[in-house]
Amino acid sequence: MSSLSASNSPRTRESAVSIRSLGLVYTTTLDRRPTLRNRLGRLARRQRQTRIVHAVKDLTLDIPYGQVTGIIGSNGAGKSTLMRVISGILPPTSGKVEVFGKVSTLLSLGVGFNNKLTGRENVYLGGLAAGMSRDQIDEKFDSIVEFSGLEDVIDAPMRTYSSGMQSRLAFSVAASLDPDIFIIDEALSTGDARFKVKSIERIRQMKSDDRALIVVSHALKVLREICDEIIWMDKGRMVKRGEPLEVIKAYRAFLHVGSSPETDEDF
Amino acid sequence: MSASQHQVKRQPVAVYQPFQHGLPSLKEYFSSLWKRRDFIFEYARADLHQKQYGTVLGQLWLILTPLILAGIYYLLLIIIGVKGGAERFGHLTGTLFLFYLVTNSIVSGAKSVTSGSKLVLNSAFPRLVLPIAETLIALMRFIPTMIVLLGIHLALGLPFTIHMLWAPAILLLVLGFALSCAIIAATINVYFRDAQNLLPYLSRTLLYLSPVLYTSEMLDQRLNFLTVINPLFPFLDSWSAIMIEGRAPLMSDLILGLGWTLALFSLGSYIFLTREREFAVRI
Repeated sequence: MSSLSASNSPRTRESAVSIRSLGLVYTTTLDRRPTLRNRLGRLARRQRQTRIVHAVKDLTLDIPYGQVTGIIGSNGAGKSTLMRVISGILPPTSGKVEVFGKVSTLLSLGVGFNNKLTGRENVYLGGLAAGMSRDQIDEKFDSIVEFSGLEDVIDAPMRTYSSGMQSRLAFSVAASLDPDIFIIDEALSTGDARFKVKSIERIRQMKSDDRALIVVSHALKVLREICDEIIWMDKGRMVKRGEPLEVIKAYRAFLHVGSSPETDEDF
Repeated sequence: MSASQHQVKRQPVAVYQPFQHGLPSLKEYFSSLWKRRDFIFEYARADLHQKQYGTVLGQLWLILTPLILAGIYYLLLIIIGVKGGAERFGHLTGTLFLFYLVTNSIVSGAKSVTSGSKLVLNSAFPRLVLPIAETLIALMRFIPTMIVLLGIHLALGLPFTIHMLWAPAILLLVLGFALSCAIIAATINVYFRDAQNLLPYLSRTLLYLSPVLYTSEMLDQRLNFLTVINPLFPFLDSWSAIMIEGRAPLMSDLILGLGWTLALFSLGSYIFLTREREFAVRI
């Protein structure tokens, strides 16, 4: 697929992420929990052991600084996988990804934290894993906790937190890293309405000429409001890229759904 | 944004390409690993804190557990009629504590990647930090047992000799060996989650094949092959020699131990590093 450009030029066209002919293929087991027993059972029954997933196919695109880029697509479109490649979590199988800045990720499927530890310990662990120094975390700790609104429970184990509270803490840590490129992948849907409003406001505040924000979400209304550009992916390929209204309209037509609470909310 | 800032952004901070020959750039990998040393210490500290080892009672438990275990095994030796006095009990406790340093590291290390799945799925960092942190936790749990060993040493009137200065070197070798096994076990456990169920049996078998309940001198000639095929043998034999018997370790044991450590570390890290890119889609 060739590289496509946005129809309107944003404030700066410096590339934050440059993706060239990216392909990502991985092998996964057919069992939800891979075990030696299941493997031997399948072998004895001469059944297939694994399946090959082509998560991203020959993708070429640039994500520029100075704008909020939304990524939409059905489940299994390759959105989260693409975010993990940009974050360096999954290496590509083919092609090349160049990242021109410090990345902070707030990805789906949990928040990268250990439930047995306290909120405080998790803030330090999350920050250190992301490459921050202890001094940097010390400096930002109070503002992280204040933004999360979890001052009263920060020393309680994370297993006592609701999923929304965990999301709040995760967002606060990720946003505090002062990243050049901030990736949010369906990670805020469990937060309460007040925190969603607060997070969206923070995203707007973070938007600047020298920062790129990439938001993966199914909340089309919110994306329409905060994004400068939207990329629609399907089956590992980019289908369309451009003005939010235009891309969302095309995506809705593809899904045969109109604007509804189901497609608008759940950021 | 200023022009100078634009210039800074033109050089990519990270370039992700398919791995060459299955391995990442080792220089970059180990540099990134070194940068995560604070994370490793915090991970270990938080884990011990969560298990209440930060409290006086928790630390007491850490000392009591191996002591009770050593007492039970000593009782067993008396019952089955194995002769031996103070030195036998000293040998049993010293080697048992070291044995548990290794097995604790392997058992916890095996689960390190799968239990850190959220971190693996959401953060880019060298995955090797996870088994390293578990080995560090095993070491932190081992340190208080050294105090117990010192107490036993004094109570039994065992000799203090210059050969005890070998202890840090032997401990370092043991840690390298324990880490290597933890790395291999962690990789296997990603692909076969039930593999960890075998570990208690393997650990128990290894205990009986190692010079813990007996000394290497007591071993039947026909079983001498155990000294070579059991990787723990040279470590435990050397540890008992310097800590209990007050003699220098055998050079052959040290060379064998070093050989096992280097071989397993090379094998383990090769398997881990060539596979770790898959971990995020396997857990």
